Amino acid sequence: MQQLQGIAVSPGVAIGEALVMDNEGFRIPRRFVARDAVVDELERLDKAIAAAAAEIAHHRETVSAELGEKYGAIFEAHLQMLQDSRLRSELEEMIRQRHYSPEYAVSRILRRYAQVFQRLESSYLAERANDIFDIEKRLLRHLLGRRREGIAHLTSPVLVLAHNLTPSETSNLDRRFVRGFVTEVGGPGSHTAIVAEALEIPAVVGTGPFLTEVSGGELVIIDGDKGLVILQPDEETLARYRHEAEELRIQATKLEPLRDLPAETRDGVRIELFGNIEFPYEVDHCVDRGADGVGLYRTEFLYLGAEVEPTEEVHFQAYSRVLQAMGQKPVVVRTFDLGADKMPNMPHPEDERNPCLGLRSIRLALRNLPLFRTQLRAALRSTALGNVQIMFPLVCTLLELRQAKMVLADVMEDLAEHNVPFNRNVPVGMMVETPAAVMMLDRFVDEVDFLSLGTNDLIQYTLAVDRSNKDVVGLYNPADPAVLRLIAMSMEAADRKQVPISMCGQMSGSPLYTMLLLGMGLRRFSVTPSAIPEVKNICRNVTLADCKAVAERVLTMENARDIRSYLKEEVKKYVREINE
Amino acid sequence: MPESFAKRTVVVTDPSGVHARTAVAIADVARRSRAAVTLIKDQRRVAATDVLQILTMVAAAGEQVEIEAEGVDAENVLNDLEPLFAGKFGDEEEKTA
Repeated sequence: MQQLQGIAVSPGVAIGEALVMDNEGFRIPRRFVARDAVVDELERLDKAIAAAAAEIAHHRETVSAELGEKYGAIFEAHLQMLQDSRLRSELEEMIRQRHYSPEYAVSRILRRYAQVFQRLESSYLAERANDIFDIEKRLLRHLLGRRREGIAHLTSPVLVLAHNLTPSETSNLDRRFVRGFVTEVGGPGSHTAIVAEALEIPAVVGTGPFLTEVSGGELVIIDGDKGLVILQPDEETLARYRHEAEELRIQATKLEPLRDLPAETRDGVRIELFGNIEFPYEVDHCVDRGADGVGLYRTEFLYLGAEVEPTEEVHFQAYSRVLQAMGQKPVVVRTFDLGADKMPNMPHPEDERNPCLGLRSIRLALRNLPLFRTQLRAALRSTALGNVQIMFPLVCTLLELRQAKMVLADVMEDLAEHNVPFNRNVPVGMMVETPAAVMMLDRFVDEVDFLSLGTNDLIQYTLAVDRSNKDVVGLYNPADPAVLRLIAMSMEAADRKQVPISMCGQMSGSPLYTMLLLGMGLRRFSVTPSAIPEVKNICRNVTLADCKAVAERVLTMENARDIRSYLKEEVKKYVREINE
Repeated sequence: MPESFAKRTVVVTDPSGVHARTAVAIADVARRSRAAVTLIKDQRRVAATDVLQILTMVAAAGEQVEIEAEGVDAENVLNDLEPLFAGKFGDEEEKTA
């Protein structure tokens, strides 16, 4: 048994077979072969070795001819490493005695050799592990043949373990069978985190290197609540997690009947529960949970992993799919919230040492008007199909908001001129996610139709903490009094002008904060769809008077730890009956 | 030709240690020889014809490696192998000569 600590980015527990992917999206396959297939499997191994050897020999010839003997020599070494007699007998033993598949044996044994180098201090020698990985890949490619496709073709449930997952890998993964993700790198905002949340499966990222120590088919537990990954768990751990997974399932089943009940407090105040989505298919998760609308439709996926900039039609099709499913319920489309580094066909910014503080989001949009206008045109056209609202991210100054609205007005004129139908009175709002926006909110409220508190960024910018930095992530805390004061200020400013305000950061989906936020005046929560039942359950078990008392108490408290433990106690008091 | 057993301890003096090229050269000599050649480091014995094993012995500069040869021309094969641990490959000497 081996336990790894990473960053928990999508909750839940998953227990299952590992599907290990290397840096090339290459899949390390399952473990056992049938007893009577051993001879055939050995033959398959020898064919693969012969084919790989022929390939390397060919490389050696070509490279030697083009660049000289010296450069061909490395291939000669690869060739001889591949034909190592001890390697061959070790592989045979694993296949014969333990009935391992040739793929598993190759990956297991060669990774063990690679570890010899990886453990060494000298980085020069550690580099040699790459020679061995290269041989492993080559052999696997021949062994797997057409079966090597990453996670696009699956036949049974798996937990995907990878160095990193790219948008192009996740975009065609087989959603029916992927039950969890672990990646060696990445933080809370990483692509893996977003996709896991969208698929409603547990995920842990940023574990650091471990892939050389697992092979496909091994049993793995992903604890998406604690950020733990357990490789080859012992009996006791396995039993404990099976029990926990069962409990979670029972809990979710208990909350299912809430689907068709309104999110209403015991004293009869109707609370709106919206869903946050990234991919159009997630709209089904919102509908399944009885969401009152989509409070945050992130549109970044349209750009990520795309070879070229998405066309107006690509945007429009995606928006249409969401609107069709939501009927007349509101859908808040947020314009792209990305840095130039994630945009197809855009040169990487030269001197961007600090992307969070750099050219991204609305700033990037205002500097790349054609890009921005394409998205706005599609969003405006979609207003003819349903209840669309348009929201701008990362607004810091009044000038930015006014410029963005001017571009929008300009696109409207253009559409009108061409007789394209759209709703001229489309509500326009902004994210409140920087302390600057909060401080100026009394002015902003005169110029927007609605507001949405983006707590993920607000916390990061207020506390000066990068959530993907392990050393400081502990300082990132929604319960920090500084953050709570900014939220309270925002609620007051919005309330004074009767501008609707919602919260769409992760904080709003955490049941721990539901009472506090209700007490502070929040009436519209936008949460990841899977969190809707739990938040609704709390709403239905409390009165606003209870919540106001909690909020008043919390706003007198001085540190995040005390606030969290106080909130835990309070939540327990009111929703005890369901948890038991 | 004498049937024999020979054994010698060599120190790796090539600053890069026993690297890929050395391992290939060792294996070439061992394969051409009619003696069975074994390398020993830290009590691990590997066949001198197995390049992956030679490399994963990880013999760095300054470390000792024992060479055993058993069979025809045992002593000669040790003579041929020893310079390789100093990074002296036959082909380079020919070129410089």
